[in-house]
Amino acid sequence: MIPVPRGRGGWEIRTNGVLRFAALILVCAAFAASGCSSSVKKTPGLGAGAGAGAGMGESNLGNKGSLAQFKKGELGAGEGGPLSDIHFAFNQYTIEPQDDSVLKANAQWLEAHPNTNVQVEGHCDERGSEEYNIALGAKRAQSAKDYLVTLGIAPSRISTISYGKELPLCTEHTEECWARNRRDHFVVSQ
Amino acid sequence: MRRSSLLLLLAAFVAITATPFTARAQIKMQIIGPGSHLSPIAVSALKNLGGDDRHGVSSEFDSILSHDLELSGYFRLISPKAFIEDAQTSGYDLGQFNFADWRSINADFLVKGAVKIDGNQVQLTALLFDVAQQRRMMGKSFTGQLSEVPRMARRFADALLKATTGIEGPFDSRLAFVSTRGGRFKEIYLQSIDGHGLFRLTDNPTINLFPAFDRRHEVLYLSYKTMMPALYLANPATRREVRIVSTRGKMVGGAISPDGHLIAAAIEHAGATNLFLLDRGGQELRRLTDTNGINVSPAFSSDGRMLAFTSDRSGTPQIYVMSVAGGGARRVTYKGNYNTTPAFSPDGKFIAYESRDGGHFDVWIVGVDGSDPINLTHGVGSSQYPAWSPDGRYIAFSSTRNGNSHIYLLQVATQTVISALTEGNGNDSCPAWSWWLGD
Repeated sequence: MIPVPRGRGGWEIRTNGVLRFAALILVCAAFAASGCSSSVKKTPGLGAGAGAGAGMGESNLGNKGSLAQFKKGELGAGEGGPLSDIHFAFNQYTIEPQDDSVLKANAQWLEAHPNTNVQVEGHCDERGSEEYNIALGAKRAQSAKDYLVTLGIAPSRISTISYGKELPLCTEHTEECWARNRRDHFVVSQ
Repeated sequence: MRRSSLLLLLAAFVAITATPFTARAQIKMQIIGPGSHLSPIAVSALKNLGGDDRHGVSSEFDSILSHDLELSGYFRLISPKAFIEDAQTSGYDLGQFNFADWRSINADFLVKGAVKIDGNQVQLTALLFDVAQQRRMMGKSFTGQLSEVPRMARRFADALLKATTGIEGPFDSRLAFVSTRGGRFKEIYLQSIDGHGLFRLTDNPTINLFPAFDRRHEVLYLSYKTMMPALYLANPATRREVRIVSTRGKMVGGAISPDGHLIAAAIEHAGATNLFLLDRGGQELRRLTDTNGINVSPAFSSDGRMLAFTSDRSGTPQIYVMSVAGGGARRVTYKGNYNTTPAFSPDGKFIAYESRDGGHFDVWIVGVDGSDPINLTHGVGSSQYPAWSPDGRYIAFSSTRNGNSHIYLLQVATQTVISALTEGNGNDSCPAWSWWLGD
């Protein structure tokens, strides 16, 4: 259970599924003063134009979707965008307790950048049928959308798409890799 | 003396069958098992009646016919090195050759024939003999172009299976599958069952999935080629295709009815994926399922009247069947907590599906009434996505048993994995097996 740097200022807990939550609590305790969310995810607004309401800076706010990255051979290379991923248990699409703060931070960022839209991408691990996983990924994307809406983000700003198990971040046949791939990824556009 | 020459003969036989083509060695090793009996068959060269002086057409016909007979799981090919008779000097029909030459090498069955080539035109006759009975069992004459010789071999293999087993063989048909062999993108390919004539149907650097045939040999598939998922109904012969989308939501997958008139589409809206019946142009005819969960992987029965599909309405993915005409869905699988990707057997009596057991998947079949689920792949690698042959005796499926995912052939009655149908770099998945190509 070692927090490893990922992307630009991002941190991810790499451990097996059972220990993951325990690890998170430990990290939370260690970073209690600064807040749990900032220690396990990217700082919202990293990249050009953080905090800027409008103007030139905002043209760099967006990030490419996973399929566009995959087409260029860049998927998993660390280009994560201003919003943080959330993760799911096997064959589940309910928001995990530890992702509550991640989604709140994502919602805050979206509130601070009202001219942006977000596409929530649902992804799955390699296990199971391709088609069932596309439907499962759609459920995962919808779960995040519904949560963001309850946090006050206009539904018209949020679209969803599922890539099932087709666009994994890693391809090892391990629980660590599967856990990393079972995710919602957030793609910001203007 | 006699014994030692037999040993030499055996040694030569083993060396020949084991070396040139690994897929054949695999067949030999895997087919021979308890309860299986392989009939020795000799496929003699075609007698050249003109134009095939270098025996190219004869070799092509014999090679494809032999391969198909091995894939059938019913025959053991006798090595041509053991043949006593010279096909070019002896005759090919009853009374023109000596059955003793074939009985002495223990052939149960014998294929002989002749070929005449005039320019691009081929006249080919092939005959099947019962060696013990000294009887002609079946004969076929073909005329066509040189490029059609492989299909003549497959049609003769299918007729040979009908003559020897009572049921037409499945080899004059096509396999469609998804492959990453061209790079990291999943594209859809077609080939013959015996691995010839690879044809690339899609060429877009995105994601292409779930090829499915109708009996017109059109292919329905899902693609992200516009960056948004849609179904496409493609005619491989003309390379024309129709894009099928729905105002209801995003396409997740689909199936086309055997007659090509109907599409059962899995469409996602607000997180829920449900099945809808569309016409072949994409116009919605009827809603088929209505749950807030997941309903995917529709598959038509051979008569087009029933649909099997996967639903999580019970809390776990399970297989259900329903009438295309409407009415409720009936649950078929109760064993296991992750059953997906159903496929109706051509006679409508069984459903093949994939079932998760811990970290891997197996292909199972179950009676359409839910009776007697049977594991056909027994936990060797992960086995997924079953597709029935048109004669109902075989299932093509994807498996990681030898590392990369490839498409394999399974003989259902013996639960025997006969051979890989694809090979090479990349991962192959989502097989579909067409109906017979016909005339």
